[in-house]
Amino acid sequence: MENIILVEDDKILREELKIFLQKNGFNVQTPDNFETIVEYILENEPSLVLLDLNLPIYDGYHICRELRKKSNIPIIIVTSRNTDIDELIGINLGADDFITKPYNTQILLARIGALLKRSSLDNKKDNLLKYNDIELNLLNATIFYKGQNLELTKNEFKILCYLIENKGKIISRQDFIEYLWQTDFFVDDATLTVNITRLRKKLESIGIKDFIQTKRGLGYIVK
Amino acid sequence: MSLVQYLKDKIFFLSLNFLIFICVAFFILYSNINLKIVVFIFIIWFFPIISYMSIDYIKNNKYFNDIYSLLENLDKKYLLPELLEDTEFLNGKILNDILKTVNRDMHEHIKVYEIKNQEYQEYVEMWVHEIKTPISSSKLIIKNNTNEITQKIDMQLNTIENFVEQVLYYSKSDNLEKDYLIKNINLDIVVKNIIKKNAKELILNKIKIETDCEDSFVYTDSKWLEFILNQIVINSIKYKKEENSYIKFYTKKDKDNIILFIEDNGIGIEDKDIDKVFEKGFTGENGRKYSKSTGMGLYICKKLCDKLGLKISLKSKKNEGVVVTIKFNILDYYYYR
Repeated sequence: MENIILVEDDKILREELKIFLQKNGFNVQTPDNFETIVEYILENEPSLVLLDLNLPIYDGYHICRELRKKSNIPIIIVTSRNTDIDELIGINLGADDFITKPYNTQILLARIGALLKRSSLDNKKDNLLKYNDIELNLLNATIFYKGQNLELTKNEFKILCYLIENKGKIISRQDFIEYLWQTDFFVDDATLTVNITRLRKKLESIGIKDFIQTKRGLGYIVK
Repeated sequence: MSLVQYLKDKIFFLSLNFLIFICVAFFILYSNINLKIVVFIFIIWFFPIISYMSIDYIKNNKYFNDIYSLLENLDKKYLLPELLEDTEFLNGKILNDILKTVNRDMHEHIKVYEIKNQEYQEYVEMWVHEIKTPISSSKLIIKNNTNEITQKIDMQLNTIENFVEQVLYYSKSDNLEKDYLIKNINLDIVVKNIIKKNAKELILNKIKIETDCEDSFVYTDSKWLEFILNQIVINSIKYKKEENSYIKFYTKKDKDNIILFIEDNGIGIEDKDIDKVFEKGFTGENGRKYSKSTGMGLYICKKLCDKLGLKISLKSKKNEGVVVTIKFNILDYYYYR
């Protein structure tokens, strides 16, 4: 599990963000002594630091600069200051990324993920997603199953990946639609049904039957 | 100062002199002195007067002509006192002095208002940044406790966010030169960002989205453009028809421009209101009937577009929807107005 240190002075924001990140599989520390924050971070060696700019005692920029003197720990600045100048200063002081409040939580997660991937040299596992006997190639949106290759459209592939990533959980149509919109696929009710039907047909054509199950009134699930 | 005006001003003095001269002349003639003496006296009497008045007239005329031509060539006429040249002409010297004193005092007076305005603007900016924190906290709490009720609250928070953003841009709209960055922007990405930003509302209202903005790169500030598009989309959502609503985003290129179209099939705008939609505080028929509207959204959009050198315009027929177009000139060397 990856360790994240969250440097934020607003108590509620700190607690809620901690809960959110923990739900998404991260170990989170939230120090509240900002006097010795730099030493704290260096001692605890997290995988990533989320740094707010408006802190008491030391400015976020100062902390960033001090950290960079001694360490290459990934730093994402999260702040309500959103002028381009703030972003430029942050990047010049060594921050790896810059996110403004109020956060789009999905973007925050995506960027944390991307930054962690970059800093650990673990690139191999991205391109392939395995589920039982099915191999999904994320680079070219194809599936490999019992010796057969199946090409899917980008959007069908998105749907399939989302179901597999949430295997065992029922995904409501509403959830699906909202998720797909965030991937630039602006579906409506009818289009979603059509896509899932098409996807099922294609899966059946290479022998994967009853893969996507419908729970009446609740949504879809892949067990 | 024209010659006629000058003479009119001196008419009393001249008439008096002439009258007295006539009296003297009569007296002399009556005393049987030669007419030639009268002429001589006339010359000695009036030559100094006329030469003095000529010089006086010329000096005055030059002084005022100089000032008037300065005034004509200045577009910021209140700067006149700064440009006055020193002069030996006494009346001019005094007048210049007075003008400069008055000018200085006016500047002090204006400075008071400028400072007040700046302080107010700084306060608004600080407020906007502060309020983002409780909004973020609320959104995170909702994220960690997803259910039907919190989803409703989340949408209300989105509305609050939009108003906060509007306040920020309105307060900055007079001197945006402090915060803009021109980059090469992919319109497709900007459009999609705005769609995603309004995803919940669009999905809830079952509004179909179509986009066709491939290969459209323009030079502009992406944050401002996103704000502008957001206002337009918010309007489309607000004034949509009951069923089968859509919003289409597409671009067209011509020789000098890339034009972005945002088309919806909402309730449209009345003919009589169309020319006024970009006016400050304009709410029109729709604003009054359908929902409370501040009338500021499009006004700020127009202001931002003007500053960025973009042409924004709007076509609509009642009940037939609205098409907003934004024209990006791709050949213009960019200049900030």
